[in-house]
Amino acid sequence: MADLRINLAGIKSPNPFWLASAPPTNSGYQVQRAFEAGWGGAVWKTLGEPILNVTSRFAAVSYNGQRVAGFNNIELITDRPLEVNLKEIYETKKRFPDHAIIVSLMVEPKQEKWHEIVKKVEDVGVDGLELNFGCPHGMAERGMGSASGQVPELVEKQTYWVKEVARTPVIVKLTPNITDITVTAEAAARGGADAISMINTINSLAGVDLDSWNTVPHVGGKGAHGGYCGPAVKPIALNMVAECARNPLFNVPISGIGGISNWQDAAEFILMGATGVQVCTAAMHHGFSIVEDMIDGLNNYLDDKGIASVMDLVGRTVPRYSDWGNLDLNYKIVAEINNDVCINCNKCHIACEDTSHQCIDLYSESGRPMLKVREEDCVGCNLCSIVCPVDGAITMVERKSNIAPMTWNERQSLISNFAR
Amino acid sequence: MSDHLLSLDEMKKVDNYLDTGYKVQYVYENLSGMFIEFERQEEEVCLQITTAEARKYFAAKLQE
Repeated sequence: MADLRINLAGIKSPNPFWLASAPPTNSGYQVQRAFEAGWGGAVWKTLGEPILNVTSRFAAVSYNGQRVAGFNNIELITDRPLEVNLKEIYETKKRFPDHAIIVSLMVEPKQEKWHEIVKKVEDVGVDGLELNFGCPHGMAERGMGSASGQVPELVEKQTYWVKEVARTPVIVKLTPNITDITVTAEAAARGGADAISMINTINSLAGVDLDSWNTVPHVGGKGAHGGYCGPAVKPIALNMVAECARNPLFNVPISGIGGISNWQDAAEFILMGATGVQVCTAAMHHGFSIVEDMIDGLNNYLDDKGIASVMDLVGRTVPRYSDWGNLDLNYKIVAEINNDVCINCNKCHIACEDTSHQCIDLYSESGRPMLKVREEDCVGCNLCSIVCPVDGAITMVERKSNIAPMTWNERQSLISNFAR
Repeated sequence: MSDHLLSLDEMKKVDNYLDTGYKVQYVYENLSGMFIEFERQEEEVCLQITTAEARKYFAAKLQE
């Protein structure tokens, strides 16, 4: 049994699986049930001046039968008074002293507002704070959430104000609705953030109803943009985590968020530099009990890899992530088709012929249809293996190059020696 | 000519120049590909390389 305990900027948790600040962490009842199910921590749904919500609030994007491939919401922060939340936080912490309770906060970008809420929240005994600079809808129209999270100076300043009074670790939650998230991550670090979490949701409109012409979701015939999350956003989130993790100017722990649905997703985020992960959509889709498989799966994975502690997995892939200019131009892979497994759907041929490099030939052998890759024309793009519906029918195999490894940056440097 | 055959042809031309005593003087790239100016004694020639594989190959030859 591997050690799944984590320590994220001083916040200790029995495992790396936290519920993200969202509807699943709206109340003490929910968070306590989540802890009973096995979640190691929870980021309490964002506290601030109680808001008013609308109905409806959620919409999902399903794709080819996959329910909730993406999830869109227009729900705002807590609509309950601060005192009610604090009482439940206190009771929850008392009942689960070893679990991590982090409280998400959002107030106007004013020093006195941050000081007031930080002091009140820390007085009930929380393990950490998460500053919500990421929520893209509703609150952003009032100058909070992503509206302030998109301005590095505001991220730095508000983080600094919080750190002036905070006694517990401060996590800054970043918005992905920005060109380069490392800029705001660095701003958070300059402000004194003990950790960052990412990503919050992405600006989105789930769809348009082709019969009514209403947006999805709509509120009495009118819609507004929401925040997108769920499995569809995982690659975006993973890259943003990785970009921060590999940034030499940035050296604070990361809590990974964005489409994490199972232990494999969690392990990927951890490998890319996240010390722990936060989950929302998968819990909303399948319930709190999904954490059981996450814990078992990660445990078994670490055991199989011979890794004693999940903390030893953190960032192991980061050195393998770089700029395009540092990739070897002469590394070569090609597609190899196993005609014994192939079902002759020809999707690979069609994809290659129509949209790639026209290197998969159809031919017949003793009347049997066959496919063959012309290796000399194959650029190793992977497309055929991506569209192939049969595992093992197409394998991408390495071919030793006769040319020595050389990156684009090395090439340009060499060629510059022969410029006029 | 296929892209592969064209790249082989271009690589062969690079090899021919280098094997026969030509030295690379200037290299520049533009929308039409790569242009290599070779020189041997007083003689100057310019070779255009259009294929990606040959452009990679030439860079590797520069490294040798």
